[in-house]
Amino acid sequence: MKAILTDVTLCIGCERCVDACRMANDLGPQLPFRWLLEDGLSSERWCSVLRKEDHFVRRQCMHCIQPACASACPVGALQKTAEGPVIYDDKKCLGCRYCMMACPFGIPRYSWESPIPLVRKCQMCFQNRVSKGQQPGCTAACPVKATIFGEREDLLAEAHRRIQENPDRYQGKVFGETEVGGTCVLYLAPFDLNMLTLGNRLDERPMPERTVYAMTAVPPVFLTMGAVMTGIWWVIDRRMQRQREQDAARRDGHAEPTSPDDGKEG
Amino acid sequence: MTTTPPTTGAPLQTRRLKNVKALLWFLVGMAASFALFRFWRGMGATTNLTDLTPWGFWIGFDVMGGVALAAGGFVIAATVYVFHLERYRPILRPAVLTAFLGYLAVVVGLLFDLGLPWHIWHLIIFWNPRSPLFEVGWCVMLYLTVLLLEFLPVVLELAKHPVLSRIYHVLKKATVPLVILGIMLSTLHQSSLGSLLLIMPHRIDPLWYSPILPILFFLSAVGLGLMMVTTESLFSAWVYEQHYELDLLQGLAKVAAPVLWLYGAVRIGDLAWRGSLGHVLDSGLAPRLFVAEMLIAVIIPATLLSIPATRRSMKGLAIAAGMTVVGFVFNRINAGGLAMIETTGTRYVPAWTEFIASLGIVAGAALVFFFIAERFHLLPAGPMRHARERLPSVGEFRPMLNRGAAMFVFGTALAVMLLPSSALDGWPVVAQPVHGPGYNDVMIIDGNRNDKGVRFDHKMHLDVVDTQDKCAYCHHMVKPGAHATGCSQCHSDEHLPVSIFNHRLHQEALSKGPGCLTCHEDTSRPKDLEHSRPCLDCHRTMIPEGAAFQPAGAPNIGLAVGYMDAMHGLCLKCHQEQDGGHAGDAPVLSRCNTCHSGVVQPFDPLRPDQRLRVSP
Repeated sequence: MKAILTDVTLCIGCERCVDACRMANDLGPQLPFRWLLEDGLSSERWCSVLRKEDHFVRRQCMHCIQPACASACPVGALQKTAEGPVIYDDKKCLGCRYCMMACPFGIPRYSWESPIPLVRKCQMCFQNRVSKGQQPGCTAACPVKATIFGEREDLLAEAHRRIQENPDRYQGKVFGETEVGGTCVLYLAPFDLNMLTLGNRLDERPMPERTVYAMTAVPPVFLTMGAVMTGIWWVIDRRMQRQREQDAARRDGHAEPTSPDDGKEG
Repeated sequence: MTTTPPTTGAPLQTRRLKNVKALLWFLVGMAASFALFRFWRGMGATTNLTDLTPWGFWIGFDVMGGVALAAGGFVIAATVYVFHLERYRPILRPAVLTAFLGYLAVVVGLLFDLGLPWHIWHLIIFWNPRSPLFEVGWCVMLYLTVLLLEFLPVVLELAKHPVLSRIYHVLKKATVPLVILGIMLSTLHQSSLGSLLLIMPHRIDPLWYSPILPILFFLSAVGLGLMMVTTESLFSAWVYEQHYELDLLQGLAKVAAPVLWLYGAVRIGDLAWRGSLGHVLDSGLAPRLFVAEMLIAVIIPATLLSIPATRRSMKGLAIAAGMTVVGFVFNRINAGGLAMIETTGTRYVPAWTEFIASLGIVAGAALVFFFIAERFHLLPAGPMRHARERLPSVGEFRPMLNRGAAMFVFGTALAVMLLPSSALDGWPVVAQPVHGPGYNDVMIIDGNRNDKGVRFDHKMHLDVVDTQDKCAYCHHMVKPGAHATGCSQCHSDEHLPVSIFNHRLHQEALSKGPGCLTCHEDTSRPKDLEHSRPCLDCHRTMIPEGAAFQPAGAPNIGLAVGYMDAMHGLCLKCHQEQDGGHAGDAPVLSRCNTCHSGVVQPFDPLRPDQRLRVSP
């Protein structure tokens, strides 16, 4: 599985990756991130460079191994590819924006300004570069190799090697190795990278697992409810039928006969 | 109040009814003209939704609330058909119709909310069974069909055509299976609206987020369903000035009370079990919403309904039922929106257009309800004075349209008048200009990063600092992270004459008192900003009226921009010019001497000072 490793301590904040991303994906006019949401991402900007303390932190889609967005999408417009990137198919999308609600990193953006709006986010340059054997625009553009592309296992090994070589330089863990079940975008940083997540703190449980029990319960609950309701109906109906027969027998035919349809003409 | 007695089954029209309908037509009109702009200009121009809050009022109220309100249909259908409680039959038809219209309203609301509503049919062909929304979508489609089939006999029973009456008889026979299918679908659907939220633990406050959300949603749907039927019965009796079916409603109330108590107990028990109960006592928005919601939806109505005297009185029932209905819609809005305010820090407030769209949809559904109530055998003692024996003719629709049309047009016009300019002219964000680095601009900056702002004349500084590196002089990355040079780096001693501070004036004014010590508390220390009292210590309340800069509170002032901001990403362009088109040869850019002559070490963010020590 392909992945990206970003070493925060190497980044010089030149925003070359942001520019390369714009070129590679043919994005529209580059709105300076200061006029948009604080994290700099927008429908026309799929990667941005944030600052924390004396460092720069590149923000982009994390390409989770078990992506919340792909599990949430009702029509499967978002898919996790075998190669690693999580990609979007605008031909399928309904525009429900459940992916945006589900993403624990708050990544997907919407082209609100358009009457035909689409979900926009980093695709790890899957269609235009990675599937052709090239590396994504951002990693290719980085002048200091602060962000690199490769196989996830290799990058993890490299990250741990760097931590071992320079334990004072880093926080001692690779962000993305285990977060929400692991991501294909990994970070090395001297501090905690919770700034990249949205809302309450996350644990290591993959997001889709949080709904899977409810979804697997659907067929049994559906059938059980049907069986229970049919059972109740049958038992009460039979009891009432008996009651009616007994009443009829007691009256012994000198009253009007009760039709079984009686009372159903509401 | 009363009109002339109707002749051939013409609907009864009271003045109260006419007023209600006029209002509804007005709301539909407003929503209709909004809809035009919503689809023409897009959602960004007509709503307040943002990337941080992509689900707003429409999902919270129209979808979450609408589905919950439609719960009366399956609850009453189960009561009458499955449990054979025949005495509730009189309220069955309006309950099923309300459910049908409710779901229809949900679908219409969804069409407003979907970015690409013309793709809604994709749910049928593209499947993702892992998605709760996929399940919700399918349940809505199927249940809407079931409800239509359940209700169709009410219309078809008047039909004379042999094919129509054949369909009527088939549907009549299929009633019980349809009702059971409807209950099965409702169970799934009501609970899966809870499942929908399970994937958002990061967004939803722990007072609402729970692994048993589906169960909570289902339980509350049963309680709400009973109370919704009650509300709607009371309302149609009120509007048609008929007698209230109190004996029936009393029975529903008797069942609703324990259901509400059970819901309350499960909700509180779940909180206690997850260890979040203490959070109720915290300060902040979420705990307050939670307490309000529990009081309105559960505790007060359940208490009222547990008292037999309240159940017997029309007012008591109306209050309890109304509170439950409002309370549970509030609950859905909370879970689907308000409980996310603090976790995400969003500043989303629905635009009035969002409210109008929702109101208009509800009003439209109510108008259809009246329309059917006045033409078919719907309400037990409804407006149909004389039993109707045939389907209504086209001519009968005309008077209703005439009356409504005026209000509809009025609403349409008013909405167009009130719409924001973004909705009329399109979203203005496309051509947003990039401001220059601030030449000639006078701005308020927090140059010293002490949360105190000063009025800053950029142009004047630019003239004073007339060196080759004039931008870098202040904006230089003294520290990586691009913090600009603080004001105090140059203005270390405000004894010098500068425009923002008149030292002599202060000297003279304070000479009779403690003198220099007022500001320079320790004269042995340097008389710089760090060792002097900040101006705002004294001047917080002394800012003269009409001053250009009126600090409301110190922390409201933004930071001064750093080098990078000031350059607006010009670095790339500059670097490319400087390295003679070798920008692609990556590492060359990491060395300062690519641009600066002289020996400069490669820049290491961890050792920034190293670069400064070497002279360029």
